[in-house]
Amino acid sequence: MSGPVGEERLAETAQAALGASADGVQVLAFHSWGGLTRFASSHIHQNTWREDIEFRVLAVADGNKTGVASTHSLDPSAVRRAAEDALSIARVAPPDPDFPGLAPPSPVAHAATFDEATADTPPADRAAAVATALGEFPAGMEGAGYVETVGDEVLVCSTMGLQAFGRTTRAGISVLAIAADSSGYVERLERRFSDLDPRVLASRAVGKAERSRDPQPIDAGAYTVILEPSATSTLLQFLGYLGFGGKSFNEGRSFMAGKIGEKLAADVITIVDDATAPDALGLPFDFEGTSARRVVLIDHGVATGVVWDRATAKKAGSESTGHALPPPNPYGPLPLNLRMATGEASVDDMIASTERGLLVTRFHYSNVVNEKETVLTGMTRDGTFLIEDGRIAHGVKNLRYTQNALEALANVEAVGSETEISTEMFFGGSRAPALKIRDFKFSSTTTH
Amino acid sequence: MVPSEIRQLVERALDAARTAGASYADARYLQEEWEAIDVQDDRLQGVDRGSTAGIGIRVIVDGSWGFAGTARLGLGELDRAAALAVEVARSSGATKAAPVRLAEEPAREATWATGIEEDPFAVALEDKIATLLDASARMRQVPGLGIAEASMDFWRRTSFLATSEGARIDQTITQSGAGVRALAIGEQEVQQRSYPNSFRGHYACKGYEHVRAMDLVGVGPRIAEEAVALLKAPECATMETTLILDAPQLALQVHESIGHPIELDRVLGMEAAYAGTSFLAPPDRGNLRYGSDLINITADATLPGALGSFGYDDEGVEARRSNIITEGIFREFLSSRETAPEVGEARSNGTMRASGWDVIPLIRMTNINLEPGDSSLERMISETDDGVFMSTNQSWSIDDKRVNFQFGCEIAWEIRKGKRRKMLRNPNYAGRTVDFWSSCDAIGSKDEWAVWGTPNCGKGQPGQTARVAHGTAPARFRGVRVGVRG
Repeated sequence: MSGPVGEERLAETAQAALGASADGVQVLAFHSWGGLTRFASSHIHQNTWREDIEFRVLAVADGNKTGVASTHSLDPSAVRRAAEDALSIARVAPPDPDFPGLAPPSPVAHAATFDEATADTPPADRAAAVATALGEFPAGMEGAGYVETVGDEVLVCSTMGLQAFGRTTRAGISVLAIAADSSGYVERLERRFSDLDPRVLASRAVGKAERSRDPQPIDAGAYTVILEPSATSTLLQFLGYLGFGGKSFNEGRSFMAGKIGEKLAADVITIVDDATAPDALGLPFDFEGTSARRVVLIDHGVATGVVWDRATAKKAGSESTGHALPPPNPYGPLPLNLRMATGEASVDDMIASTERGLLVTRFHYSNVVNEKETVLTGMTRDGTFLIEDGRIAHGVKNLRYTQNALEALANVEAVGSETEISTEMFFGGSRAPALKIRDFKFSSTTTH
Repeated sequence: MVPSEIRQLVERALDAARTAGASYADARYLQEEWEAIDVQDDRLQGVDRGSTAGIGIRVIVDGSWGFAGTARLGLGELDRAAALAVEVARSSGATKAAPVRLAEEPAREATWATGIEEDPFAVALEDKIATLLDASARMRQVPGLGIAEASMDFWRRTSFLATSEGARIDQTITQSGAGVRALAIGEQEVQQRSYPNSFRGHYACKGYEHVRAMDLVGVGPRIAEEAVALLKAPECATMETTLILDAPQLALQVHESIGHPIELDRVLGMEAAYAGTSFLAPPDRGNLRYGSDLINITADATLPGALGSFGYDDEGVEARRSNIITEGIFREFLSSRETAPEVGEARSNGTMRASGWDVIPLIRMTNINLEPGDSSLERMISETDDGVFMSTNQSWSIDDKRVNFQFGCEIAWEIRKGKRRKMLRNPNYAGRTVDFWSSCDAIGSKDEWAVWGTPNCGKGQPGQTARVAHGTAPARFRGVRVGVRG
């Protein structure tokens, strides 16, 4: 098995690019290795391991013309060729008066983001975790999901004298319990594989599938909903994509444009992006090498800010917050470590205080209906329940929501006291609590 | 063609896997080059040019799969990767399962390449940038336009597959795409128009001639004017009505509500935890009425120039054309060598593709086509008293069994008394798969039929993006719910 390449070797290889005869060069190196064990029909059916390495070189010519080229090789001669290619692109590119220049060196906080045991997890340990999870399944119920362990190294260095290096690990488990006419789902992501307990996760998924047996049809319409953290994360991550980035803000496409200082959500809603939080999965710097700052986006319901990279910050007369994506980047900066502040309620409290409503485990295949109004649509899946008189009455067949996400956050009545990191199909992970929301709109139903 | 030293590396990886204990092994080298160019307004947003190369080793040990992929192609590293693939496969024994059985497949030695007229990587970068800046400038001449975007993407995949059964397949696939988008930004809404299609344009297994055939520059004023006009257009009303879809939107409708549900791995639950399953089951073959008599669906990886075409899939199965739905009756799944025997099929129909060297092949759509009918857009509109004509996808969503869907389009027009009338903004429609296809009562003829590339089909964990396509002509559907609001 592989392991870390290390800062020294990555930096030494990057030197092959930094020597190019350009006005400036930035090198972004990624090294990633790890295993993913997928299971379905209660057995391991896809079991994989991979290792990749990439050097992405940005070259500057004539002061403000840039080009980017990359190679997936640790060979210095390939990295040098990528630099030459990047420079040849820069030479024919039109001038960019908005080019902010390469980032200067900035102090990067060292965080405990790497767990050697997770990075070195052998295939047998991932397979054993699957077997442990499946051990919780009763007869007649099938299990599906994944166990993944990954190590990453990222280096940013440039002819400005900048050098930032980070090493992270990530482990994830998902468990889907499938019964005859119901299902239940749980997913967890952590830095350390040892922090994940497949037995506990599996029993939770199995419990959901048990409780949602014989789901009843229910009419579409507006309901009070209790969104479990995974469902909250869907709203959070779409808001991040649609409006918390500096580019869409500068262009007026963001729902935050012209709204700073205005009340957009309920008092109990505070949303930040913070890669440096001890329980976040991100790196303490961005892909320009700028230290990642904690940015308050919504503070007690009031719009307070967006995240910036160097180009969008320059245009707005602001400073980078350390949220650049890898170059070239037509999408602008994005918040990759979103989190919603916790409240004081437990999911049980929320259920107990609900006369009639729906408990939603997670959403599926959500997408944007209207970006500026933040209208989203998607399906519920894997555990949707009717709540009556403060108790879970029974499972229901799945529904399609078509809902303004900001309006939903304005209608929040309670925020959960605990958070979980969840992934959304098209994005990374975010940390979110459960929410209780009134008047959440479901536009249609389905057959299961 | 893959150089001989690379072939030797692949053979070494294959030998190492067999020596380590694999009863079956394949080793697949893939080198992919790409160039992406993005222009916004009068600025080049970036040129992304790069290449990646590596070897993926897939093995069966004790009846279970294992896989290891690496970009580090030193001999020692390849040997370690092959041994690791075997170790990974052995670990799969922690859970009990029936041994993997592969459908028979002749071991072929073949070379195949996309036929192109003009190598897109040989066209001067400054000429491509100039074309995109021209296209953007034409859109920006329209008063009220917020943002003009133009982009091009090119890929070349060179691969060599060797299997322990003796297959040796060398393929080179070249793909090109381009498009423009005009955005009008209002107080409450952003409206957009794209050409030739949304999500970065129109893609094909062709060379730069594919881009030259598009009028990216000339179309700019029209789509920019439409984007601006949409801000003030009335909203598509909520109602049940006759819906006519243009071919690009219908391509995505085919993709989501036919292409994915017919993937046999989904049907067998192999994607259950992530992308979901399918409402279809093996006994539905030959029995399930999927749509009206007009619905004929083929899976055809042999269509020249189509984005989902290739010579051989990543299991070495030769590209073919299959009848998926015939006169509305469901006939055949998309399958692999592993899944075909599970439903009693003797052979795979050749749809296994991996997005990179670092991931395993999965069942992927090829070119999933709604075969042409005998109508035309003009005739369908002229025959419609009340309805809506929608064009160009903007949003899509469908449930985990591919039943309940909701699509948004960029633009629509009201149809009254056989004529296309006023423009409508924020059009969308919703339905259930079988009901929707059963309501189809007209499909355009081959004169209006074209293959639309979908370059962003997501599936699997880790996520893989496949480039697939759909041949479609405009079609009409009765009794569809449109104007869905929250």
